Amino acid sequence: MADNKEKNDDVIADLNNIDLNVVSELKNERMPPRRFQRRRQSQFVPDYIDWKDVDFLKRFIPERGKILPRRISQVSAKDQRRVAQAIKRARSMALIPFVTD
Amino acid sequence: MAEKRVYEVMYIGAPETADEDITKLNEAIQQQIEKDGGAVVKTEVMGRRKLAYPIQKKTEGHYTLFEIEGSGQEIAELERRFRVNDAVIRYITVRVDEDRKKAAKWTAKRENRQARRRSGSSNFNDNQTAEVQDNQ
Repeated sequence: MADNKEKNDDVIADLNNIDLNVVSELKNERMPPRRFQRRRQSQFVPDYIDWKDVDFLKRFIPERGKILPRRISQVSAKDQRRVAQAIKRARSMALIPFVTD
Repeated sequence: MAEKRVYEVMYIGAPETADEDITKLNEAIQQQIEKDGGAVVKTEVMGRRKLAYPIQKKTEGHYTLFEIEGSGQEIAELERRFRVNDAVIRYITVRVDEDRKKAAKWTAKRENRQARRRSGSSNFNDNQTAEVQDNQ
């Protein structure tokens, strides 16, 4: 029993020591390449975001009317928050639709 | 409370109201603000605009934007009036002075950094000491 426990501990230690780079390489080999690369160029976000500037905010709103997620818009978390806030203000004043079907 | 706050107030007037009535309402608002100790910095009549979605079954509205400077007291009174007035179908108040100040700070910072880079100081240590001095 004591031996077994020691072995287990060894295995765990091995798992901890596995080279992460090797693991990710294995993963890459197994997984097919991503088909949809939807990365866009990061939008330039001005220091002051005007919530009345519909033309600017429209860049963050696809046809559906939803706010473009950060993983696609590629802006910083801070900028995304500011843009989202401005979009919500513009929506409440009916400058931008909530939803478009 | 000593410092002045700057607000942007926008409202949508009902499409049925005549243009003269909107003008009158805007004048009344300005007088009210001044009476309450505020100042109207800017009045922008954006005119008739299509709403992005219907509000109270209306598809159009008269948009007006004010920029108001004051303590905040006059905003409370203005909003109360907006709520009572049937000709106002939607309004919004946004405090802008803080965001503008932040934006100005960021712009200044970036320009400062660019200026320093342009002055050809490839010496990293120089930049660091300058930043430390800035912080103090």
